Amino acid sequence: MEIEVKENSENEMVFVLNNVDLAFANAIRRIGMMEVPKIAIEYINVIKNDSRMFNEVLAHRLGLVPITSDSEAIESLIPHEECDCEDYCSKCSVSFTLNKTWDDLPKDESKDKDIQRIVYSKDLHSTDSKIKPVFDTIPLVKLKEDQEIELEAIAMIGKGKYHAKWMPTTVCSYKQYPIITFDGEKELSNDVIDACPNNVLKLTKNKKPSAQHLKKNIENCTLCKSCVRASENDAIDVSYEDNKIIFKIETDGSMNPKEVLLRACDVLYDKADKISEQTEEEIKSS
Amino acid sequence: MIPIRCMSCGKPISAYFKEYQQRIADGEASKAIFEDMKIKRYCCRRMFISHVETWE
Repeated sequence: MEIEVKENSENEMVFVLNNVDLAFANAIRRIGMMEVPKIAIEYINVIKNDSRMFNEVLAHRLGLVPITSDSEAIESLIPHEECDCEDYCSKCSVSFTLNKTWDDLPKDESKDKDIQRIVYSKDLHSTDSKIKPVFDTIPLVKLKEDQEIELEAIAMIGKGKYHAKWMPTTVCSYKQYPIITFDGEKELSNDVIDACPNNVLKLTKNKKPSAQHLKKNIENCTLCKSCVRASENDAIDVSYEDNKIIFKIETDGSMNPKEVLLRACDVLYDKADKISEQTEEEIKSS
Repeated sequence: MIPIRCMSCGKPISAYFKEYQQRIADGEASKAIFEDMKIKRYCCRRMFISHVETWE
């Protein structure tokens, strides 16, 4: 199995996996979405909420706010399932406080009238300096004059299979590597070139398909076969390579995509390890 | 209020909403703003375009 990283930015990573079967890639995809742990707000204790938003709605909004969950931030916490406490304690949770009145908030400059002011995610203060909201500009709730909001929010480690707020990835998907072949003797019409929604195809000056352009853009091909359908003389054929896939991971900012991939592999390794351990025990005892 | 995340894919789009509103008010075109903010998918883009602020 070979891996070739094509793109790697702060929250997006594209890589090509060669000599890998789809079942394995699918295992990585599913674990990346559902079983890589991250932190999200789970409980809120409302002391005062004068705003027009119900506590339940506010709790849901707070839960969806992405919170930094990279290994450095997460290492001091243990998952709630492994903790001895009943609801939450300092070992398995981080507490945030939100305490704002209308007077504390800056005037909304984009509005002419100064009636409502917005509470943003930067107003959430954490007890742990490493664990904080990823974005400062997420609007949480609006306050009118003389209104006040005071609450404590408890963030915990969880997994995507329990609630979507614990999913570290927004996109975690793969596709097979496309192969586009041309019948050299037949002429390629402009309709075929224009049929491609991702502009993978291009003609050279002497009306031949541009190999250079194709090589550069082939990974954008979604195997939709619009070009094959537009071609009346079967001058083009689209298929895919069996054991080569393009994988894309995009995260919500709470950790970087490389970490999602590495942790997904760790989870898979632990699962396989557990099976081999238990099998050996089972055989010994029988 | 704008939802925190895109309803289809889960991208935290609300973080960009303030900037989007300001730039729209300055007369910029939506498409250019989205391309600049790297909001690529149409599921995320519709969250901005179709949003109606009812809480005023």
